[in-house]
Amino acid sequence: MKRSILSLASALLVAFSANAQKVEFEEYDLSNGMHVILHKDNSAPVVTVGVMYHVGAKDEVDGKTGMAHFYEHLLFTGTENIGRGEWNKIEAANGGTGNANTNWDRTYYYETFPSNNLELALWMESERLLHPIIDQKAVDTQNEVVKEEKRQRMDNAPYGKIIYGDVYNHIFDKHNYGRPMIGYIKDLDAAKLEEFKAFYNKWYMPNNAVLVVAGDFDTKNAKKMIKDYFEPIPARTLPKREKVVEPERTKEKRVKEYDSNIQLPAILLAHKTPSMKERDSKVLDVISTILSNGKSSRLYKKLVDGKKKSLNVFSFARNLEDYSVYNIGAIPLGKTSLDDLIKEMDEEIEKLQTELVSDKDLQKVRNKFENRFVASNSNVQGIANSLARNYMLVGDTNRINKELEIINSITKEEIRDVARKYLAKDRRVVIEYLPEAKKK
Amino acid sequence: MFLSLTVSAQIDRTKQPKPGPAPKINLGTPEKFSLSNGLQVLVVENHKLPRVTATLTIDNPPMTYGNKKGVEGLLSSMLGSGSKNTPKATFDEEVDFLGANVSFWDEGARASSLSKYFPKVLGLMADAALNPVFTQEEFDKQMKQSLDGIKNGEKSVQAIASRVQNVLTYGKNHPFGEFTSEATLKNVTLQDVENLYNKTYKPNNAYLVIIGDVKFKEVKTLVKDLFSSWKKSDMIAQQLPKVENPSTTEIDFINMPNAVQSELAIINSVDLKMGDKDYYAALLANQILGGGGTGRLYKNLREDKGYTYGSYSSIGSSRYASRFKTSASVRNMVTDSAMVEAMKEINKIRYKKATQEELDIAKAKYIGNFVRNVEKPQTVASYALNILTNKLPKDYYKNYLKNINSVTLDDVQNAAIKYFKGDKARIIITGKGIDVLKNLEKTANYKINYFDKNGNPTEKPAMSKTIPAGVTKNTVINKYFDAIGGADKVKNLKSTMVVYEAEAMGRKIQNTEKRTATHFANATAMNGNTMMKVTMDKDAIKMNGQPLPPAMAKDFSFTLGTFPEVGYLNNAETKLTGIEPINGKDAYVVSKKGKIVSITSYYDVDSGLKVKEVQNINMGGRTQTQEATFGDYKEFNGVKFPGKKSGSLGPQKVQYVLKDAKINEGVSDADFK
Repeated sequence: MKRSILSLASALLVAFSANAQKVEFEEYDLSNGMHVILHKDNSAPVVTVGVMYHVGAKDEVDGKTGMAHFYEHLLFTGTENIGRGEWNKIEAANGGTGNANTNWDRTYYYETFPSNNLELALWMESERLLHPIIDQKAVDTQNEVVKEEKRQRMDNAPYGKIIYGDVYNHIFDKHNYGRPMIGYIKDLDAAKLEEFKAFYNKWYMPNNAVLVVAGDFDTKNAKKMIKDYFEPIPARTLPKREKVVEPERTKEKRVKEYDSNIQLPAILLAHKTPSMKERDSKVLDVISTILSNGKSSRLYKKLVDGKKKSLNVFSFARNLEDYSVYNIGAIPLGKTSLDDLIKEMDEEIEKLQTELVSDKDLQKVRNKFENRFVASNSNVQGIANSLARNYMLVGDTNRINKELEIINSITKEEIRDVARKYLAKDRRVVIEYLPEAKKK
Repeated sequence: MFLSLTVSAQIDRTKQPKPGPAPKINLGTPEKFSLSNGLQVLVVENHKLPRVTATLTIDNPPMTYGNKKGVEGLLSSMLGSGSKNTPKATFDEEVDFLGANVSFWDEGARASSLSKYFPKVLGLMADAALNPVFTQEEFDKQMKQSLDGIKNGEKSVQAIASRVQNVLTYGKNHPFGEFTSEATLKNVTLQDVENLYNKTYKPNNAYLVIIGDVKFKEVKTLVKDLFSSWKKSDMIAQQLPKVENPSTTEIDFINMPNAVQSELAIINSVDLKMGDKDYYAALLANQILGGGGTGRLYKNLREDKGYTYGSYSSIGSSRYASRFKTSASVRNMVTDSAMVEAMKEINKIRYKKATQEELDIAKAKYIGNFVRNVEKPQTVASYALNILTNKLPKDYYKNYLKNINSVTLDDVQNAAIKYFKGDKARIIITGKGIDVLKNLEKTANYKINYFDKNGNPTEKPAMSKTIPAGVTKNTVINKYFDAIGGADKVKNLKSTMVVYEAEAMGRKIQNTEKRTATHFANATAMNGNTMMKVTMDKDAIKMNGQPLPPAMAKDFSFTLGTFPEVGYLNNAETKLTGIEPINGKDAYVVSKKGKIVSITSYYDVDSGLKVKEVQNINMGGRTQTQEATFGDYKEFNGVKFPGKKSGSLGPQKVQYVLKDAKINEGVSDADFK
C-alpha cells in the first residue's frame, strides 16, 4: 500500500516537471562580484561546472587580435597548484571530461564529472582564475597549436570561411565582429608575453565571470564550496567596454571569396541584424525556420525539391551580443547560376515581406521550437551553457524559460515587418563564395 | 587563537580535493518484445522530458555493391519521399508541422518528437519505411544531387584522405573499402534502387529501439499495429574478402596540391571483437597511446611539439573487420617529423611497459565515461543492442567496470604488440607533395608508394611548379642582383670579400672568401690557423696547393666572378629548372649539372634573394652533398650579403655569422696563390 502511494507521488512529480518544462535555477553574487547560477538535477550522478568570462574576440584591440581565443588554449597549461601538463591528467584520472570554446563575445570553460568530484571541479576552475601559468614556453607551444587549428578548421576545410565567420569582414566595416575570431596570425606571432599577461589582467576577474554548476549536488554543500574556492579571489576594476556602432548599409554590396577546398560555389546573402537581446532576433529565428528548416520549408521545397536548382539551401542567424549576423544561402545544383539562385531567394524574401504567413505555418514554427526547446534541455552540460549565456549576453538568466513564450507571441505582422526591415536588399552583402580555381 | 581559527576555516588550495564517495550506478535494462516477422523491439521508458526517439536498425551483414556502388546511398535519400499512401509534399508537411525529425537510410530509420505527437510520428515513419514509392523524378533529382556531391568532395583533403585510407586498409572489393564514384553512380538505375530495398530492407535482422516518455504497454500495441505487416525474407551473407596488412611498414602518399596540412594516418587492420579476452586491454592500450588530451600522441605532437591541433588513436571492434589508426592533421613542413614521432610512440608502447600512473588514468577515464553515460536512456538502449548484435553474455555491462579494472600493465603491452602493428603498418599521408615529399624521403626508412585520389597506384607527383611565362634564368639572376644592390652595380664590381665566423666543437671557425672576375679563394681557419684553402682560376682548382682533377675543376670554373651568379649568366648549361618550396616559401631553382659536380641555387620568388645552395659531388661512385642556406641579408657599402649562413663542416652542421664584407678592397693577387 505504502509503495503504491510513493509511486503515485513520484509519478505526479514527474508529470508536473514534464509539463512545466521549466529549467529551475537559483542565482546569486559572491562578495567579489562573481555571479553564480545553480541548476539542480539529481536524476543522474553527474555534475557540470562551467565558468564563462565576458571577453571574446570583439574585445581585442587592433594589432593584438587572437588573444581571447589564445587564452582558451593557455588556460589549460596549469596553475600554481596544478603542474604544467597536469590539467588533462587530473580531469581524466577523476573520470571527468571538459573543454573550452571562444566566440566574439565570451570565453567558456567547463568540465563534467561524476558528481562525487564537484569539489575537484570547483578547485580546478578557481585555480584557473586565480593564478594560471602564463609563460613563454606555454605561449610558444600554443602559438603553433593555434596555427594548426586555423589550418585544420578554416584553411583546409570546405566552406570553412562561412562556417567560422571569416566572411563577416564584408558585413562589418567598423565593429570587431568583422575580424576573424581566431585572430590574425601575424598579430599572434608578434605578441609578447607581457601583452598576453596584460590581456589576462584586463579581463579575467571574478566580477567579469559567471560560474554555473548544474547537475547532481547538495545545494548547501555546493554553496559552501563555491564560497570557499571562489570568494577569496579578489575583484578588480572592470575594463571599459566601448560600444562600436556599425552604420547601416544603404546600398547592396557584392563581393567574392575564394576557397581552395571546394568545387561547387555557394551564394550567401549576409545581413547585419539586431543583438541576441532583441525580440527581433527571435523573429529572425522564426524566419529561418520558415525558409529552410525541414523539407516543407519554403526554400528547400522550392529550390531543392521543386525546381531542382540547388544541392542545399540554408538560412541561419549567428546571434551575438552587439549585433547578429543573418545568412541566407544556397549551393547550386548542376548548371544553375548564382544569379538565378539570388533571384529565387529574393522571390521568397519578398513573399515574406509582402504576404502574411498562414496560421498553419505559424503553428508549425511553434511546434518546431517546442521540440527544439525540449531537446536542448536534455543534458545538464547544455543547460549549464544556456544559463550562463542568457545571464551574461542576453542579460536575463530566466530567458531560458521565456524562450517559448516569446516565440508563441510572435505575430504574422511582426514576421512581415522584420523581414521588410532587416532583409531589405540595400542592407545586405551578397557574397559569391567560389572555388579557388575560379580566381583570375 | 583567532589566527588559527581563520586558518582552519580556509581551504588548502595547494592540495587537490579528494573525491567523495562513489555515486551509486543503476544500470537499467530495456523492456523487450519481438514480432513474429523477427523484428526485435527494445523500449527504455524515461519520463524526464516529454519526448521520444525511435530508431530502427537493420543489422544486415555488410555487402559490396561493386560497379553499382552508390545504390545504397540513393536508396537512403529516396526513402522518406512520401509513401504509397501519402504523397511526398503531404508527408514532408506533416512531419514538419508536428515539429518532428524523421530520417531514413538504406538500413534503418529514425524519428523523434514530443511525446504528445509520437504515435502519429512513428506512424509516418513506419508508413514511409514499409510502403515506399520510388519515382523516376525523385531518382533523377537524387542522382543529380549525388553527382554534384561527389564533385564537391574532390578538393576536400579530409574527404580524400578518408576514402583512400579505407581503400588501402580494406581493399577495393571489401564493403568497408569500396567507395562511390561518378562512374559507379552512373551505373545505377531506378530499378536497382527498388531491388535493393526489396532485398535488404527486411525485419529479419532488425531492431527497433524506442526511448523516452512512453508507456511500454501502449507502445507495444502501437508497434504491433505498425510493423506486423512487414514481411521477412531470406538473406544470404556475402563472403568477405580477406583484409591484409603489408608485410613491412610502408608509406602511402596521396598528392593533394591544395593541402595546407597533411592528413597523417598510421593504420593496420585488426581482428578484435567486443567479446575477446584482451578487448579491455586493447581499449586501455589505445587510451594510453592516443585517447584524448592525456594520450601520448596528444602530449607529444601537440603539447610538446606544436605540430598539430590534435593527434589521437582509435581501435575498432566490428564483427566483420576493424582497424587500429593514429591520426593527426599537421602542417606541411613538419609532416616527416610528425610521422617519426607518431611511429616512435607506437613502437614505444609496444616495446616498453606503460607506467602504472598511465594505466590508472586510462582506467579512470573509462570508468568516468561509464558513470557519466550509464544513466542516459540512450546508453541503456545501446548497451542492450550491443549485447544482442554482438552476441555478448547478458551480464556483459554489469561486469564492464570489473573487467576494465583487472587489466594489468602486461596485458596492455601484450595488446599493444598484438594490435598496434608498427612493423606492418600503412603510413598514409595525404598532402601537398611538393612541400612534403623531399623531407619525407630524407627522413623515412620506408618505401614510399604513390596513390591517386581513388586509391590507384600512380607516379610520384612532379616536384616542381610550372615556371610562369616570361621568367627565365636571366630574369631570376637579375632580380637577385637587384635585390642585393642593383644589377648594374653588382656586375661592375672588381672584387668581393666576405668573412664568416662560427663556433663548432668548442672552436672558433673563420671562413674567408675572396672573389674577382677571374679568381676565387676560400680559406677556413680554426682558432686562427688556416686548415684548408681552395683557390681557383679558369685553368685549375687547388686545395691546399694540390691541384684537383681537371674534370672537377671544369665543373666549378663557371662560377668564377665577383658573385657566382655572374658566371651563371654566361654559362649556357646553367638553367632555370623549376619552382620548389624552401621552408614553405616558393623559390626559383637554377641548376647546372656537371660530370662530377652539380650545383643548384634557390632564389626566393618574392624577395629575389638567394636562400639556398646545394652542391652534389659524384666521384668514383660515391655521392656527397653539401647544403648551405642563407638569410638575414645585411648591407655593406650598398651591397647586401647574407648575415647568416648555415653550412656543413664534415658531418657537423655549422651556423655562420657574417663578420665583415668588403667590395672593391681587401683583395690582392697574393690571396689567390
